[in-house]
Amino acid sequence: MKIKVELFGVCRELSDQDFINLDFDNEILIKDLRDKMIEIVKEKFPSNDNYLEMVKKSAFSTNDEIVGDEFKIKDKQTVSIIPPIGGG
Amino acid sequence: MFHCGIADVKDISLEKAQKFIESHKCGAALFFIGTVRDHNNDKTVTGITYDSHDVLVKKSFEEIYNEAIKKLDLQHPVAYVEHAKGYVPLGGISIIIAVACKHRAQVYDFSRYIIEEIKKRTPIWKKEHYVGEEEIWLEGKPIEVKKVK
Repeated sequence: MKIKVELFGVCRELSDQDFINLDFDNEILIKDLRDKMIEIVKEKFPSNDNYLEMVKKSAFSTNDEIVGDEFKIKDKQTVSIIPPIGGG
Repeated sequence: MFHCGIADVKDISLEKAQKFIESHKCGAALFFIGTVRDHNNDKTVTGITYDSHDVLVKKSFEEIYNEAIKKLDLQHPVAYVEHAKGYVPLGGISIIIAVACKHRAQVYDFSRYIIEEIKKRTPIWKKEHYVGEEEIWLEGKPIEVKKVK
């Protein structure tokens, strides 16, 4: 199953593009995607605890709605990662 | 009446905001302007790059506006909210919240409600740039989610 993850804030550091494409063998939930993103941060920035914490605390959205940990992600779905926010 | 948007700093304009909120039904108007200051966490700041999830930001602004007029029981309210996206230099405007209401007390409550809720739930991020130090993404607060699917 293929999904596209749109990157925002600190997560933009994970790629030169605005998104990353991920492949999974089985259907996954948002909480599985968070675990995958944590793995990616650990691989790419092994000594950056700040990035790791921000990904751990991230929310996710799809179809312009925030979705919870038990939300099932479909094949070819686009999901946005929403790290802790700080505008204004 | 409501306008909201995400804009490049060069396109954020007090004049546009003032023109939008002009209303003969309102006896009070208030402008809140957020700007980039020169220090944070004992570092000398030269600018901030703002990132945003544009669709969710606009949705969040609209929700906040609608909630505010209901909670504060405002008649004929007007609000203009624009947030910067991209690099904003020292002193540059990061956000304008211009509001107009019937009475003066209402504009303070209305403006304050909008900025405090934006801080809690609008997906905008800051990368700070410093003198002699590496730029960093500020930590922020996890988004507050009232209802999740």
